[in-house]
Amino acid sequence: MKLKKLLKSGIALGLCLGLSACSGGGASSNTSGESSKAVESGDSKEAKDGASGKEIELKIPTYLAGENVGATFFLPQVERFNEKYAGKYKVVVEEVVQDSYAEKIKQLAGQNKLPTLVHSPGSGGIDTQWFKQVILDNDMAYDLTDFAKEYPDVSSSWIEGSKEFCTVDGKIICNPLIVLRPIGLYYNESLYKPEKDIRDMSMDEFISGLGDNKLAFMTSENAWTSSLMLAALIANEEGGVELLNNNTSEKLWDYNTPVMVNAVGKLQKLLQNNASSNTVGAAYADAANAFMSNNAALICNGSWMASEFNEDAKDKWSNGFDGKDVKTTIYPGNVALANPKAYGDFWISNAASDEQKEAAKAFLAFRGSKEEIEAYILAEGGNAPNIKHSDDFLNKLKENNILYQLDQSMNADTKFVATLGDILPASVADTEFGKLLPKLIDNSLTPEQFCAELTKKAQEAKQ
Amino acid sequence: MSSKRKMAASKLERKNYKWIYLFLLPSFIVFVTFYIQPIFTVFYTSFTKWDGFNKPKFIGLTNYINMFGNTAFRYSLKNLLLWSIIAAVLHVGFGVLVAFAIFKKPYGWKFTRAVFMIPNVISAAAWAMIYRFMFHDDMGMINNLIRKINPDFHVQWFYQSPFAFIAVTLTWLFYAVIVTLIVLNDLFAIPGDLFEAARVDGASDFQLIKYIQLPLCRNAIGTSIIASITARVAMYEQIALTTAGGPGDDTMNLPVILVKSIMDLKYGYANANGVIMFILGLFILWLINKLFKMNESVY
Repeated sequence: MKLKKLLKSGIALGLCLGLSACSGGGASSNTSGESSKAVESGDSKEAKDGASGKEIELKIPTYLAGENVGATFFLPQVERFNEKYAGKYKVVVEEVVQDSYAEKIKQLAGQNKLPTLVHSPGSGGIDTQWFKQVILDNDMAYDLTDFAKEYPDVSSSWIEGSKEFCTVDGKIICNPLIVLRPIGLYYNESLYKPEKDIRDMSMDEFISGLGDNKLAFMTSENAWTSSLMLAALIANEEGGVELLNNNTSEKLWDYNTPVMVNAVGKLQKLLQNNASSNTVGAAYADAANAFMSNNAALICNGSWMASEFNEDAKDKWSNGFDGKDVKTTIYPGNVALANPKAYGDFWISNAASDEQKEAAKAFLAFRGSKEEIEAYILAEGGNAPNIKHSDDFLNKLKENNILYQLDQSMNADTKFVATLGDILPASVADTEFGKLLPKLIDNSLTPEQFCAELTKKAQEAKQ
Repeated sequence: MSSKRKMAASKLERKNYKWIYLFLLPSFIVFVTFYIQPIFTVFYTSFTKWDGFNKPKFIGLTNYINMFGNTAFRYSLKNLLLWSIIAAVLHVGFGVLVAFAIFKKPYGWKFTRAVFMIPNVISAAAWAMIYRFMFHDDMGMINNLIRKINPDFHVQWFYQSPFAFIAVTLTWLFYAVIVTLIVLNDLFAIPGDLFEAARVDGASDFQLIKYIQLPLCRNAIGTSIIASITARVAMYEQIALTTAGGPGDDTMNLPVILVKSIMDLKYGYANANGVIMFILGLFILWLINKLFKMNESVY
């Protein structure tokens, strides 16, 4: 009888303890699961190692890995860093899918378990609103002012506009931009031969000169290629440049303005007359596919797409498409999409240990060195206005025909403007804009109604 | 004798109370930790302005007032009403029909039951992706079939009005295996004597269904309707991965608004949305219980 009682008590106690153990574990790891544990254990191990003079291991959760287009440059760069600092620092990359990166960082921030190095807002889906409200308001970003003094070669390369933007209450809270990667457009010369450089055309000239040629637009995901064209259209309207460039910090919440309505009106005509047949419902892959299968003659996109037109990417081509036919330039009206008022590439978590911060700073300094910046421009394109390039570098740049063309398409008169992603609230830019485009295409909405609907969505996001 | 046994049973029950409570304790802890506490948090924070990180600030009914003024919310309620009617009539109707067909045990009924089960073991997210391809204009099976009759047919089902609503509905409409299993279970539980007696009285197949099977499956059908409608209240993957609520707000629903609010750092607003979903769930439960008199015995 006693044994029976004991057995019953044991089972009941076991159940209770088992459950509380489960829930306890869940509370600590919560939804971030393995990743946060990995970061935490990595940090504590690194701190120990640092104190004992061993190699400091810096674990970076990043989307610049795996199949991501940015991995092509970033991963070899990490290897170069590890080789240079062997025995002192070691960067370990933890792959995170780009779509999940922001969510993961938000969860880790909520648990105060941020990794040492975090991608800046504006990249990896992290929105500036969250960054300001959570990270800056709670002083969670490490001040890089000392870093700027410690590595003057790097800080002198920072773009002034970005440095100003990254300076909040006298603290440099993000690693400012060194390279500006202006976004233009690509066209297939075998389908579309402009009478003159598109850059030197007016927007109306460009539209009327398109004829039957198609643009690879999107309405799905964040409607990226369509939003780039709308930004170019806005920039070509009276007061459009100011509208785009003066609202990057506080965002734009009202689109019921003549500039927006006119630009949307032109976009509507382009979508109805010059959009590739798969536009409605097209995601980025569909738009790229339309361009690389001769179903669209033009596509708006950044310099990172240039590698798709190299011979070694020909397995993505079809229907007689040849990467050699692709030319690039900037938008009509001498407009390029680039926003120097941005939060740079990475920021360091204030909660990291001193050893971790030291390793993170060494990595940022390595990335900002002239050799690495030049290697980056050769791989992904862009322009570093504060770096004096060697002839060797310029010759190498000329070898990459497309990147060189883009570089040469900009001159002293080029107007650099922000993209829609820089000025619209996150949910409007990422989902609402694309969701409303089909209604603009089938005339369910006029440009005025489209702008009014978009304004309504922005106001609802603000409430 | 009987009262003696009753007393003995009560004594035994009283003796076992502490064990009953002890064994119930784990379930109670789970219930409080994972159900009551989150529900309480959702209710409380729905009256606050909260970014999910900083301290919530009490703002009274503002979230609810804003929500009822929100176009997407109104579209969601309209869509929910339509989907609920479709679920209760067509989805459950189809599931019941299949259950009655299988109950007759025609040739291959076990195979049919197994095949009908397959969609249930594939995640809703995977189904959404499959449907995206099925409804694709260029390479989709559906449009290519339609183009055999009408070569000029071009519709992007998930991205054009009013097709998006129809396409989203079709992603779940015919997957009624849960309904079939619940109803089938009740059909198999009907005593054979009833059928025999009815047959002796000269009842036809239709009369058997109308006067015996359907009334005796009342509770199962009611339960199926509750499950189907509450699944529509909580439906997320099928919409988020296909239309994201678009075009415009044509296929918007409450969970999509909830997730979008979290994206906008409006956790208080998102939880107000959660409270509405919770209340709707309870209302549906109460309504179907009343309509189907589910508290009364069917025998």
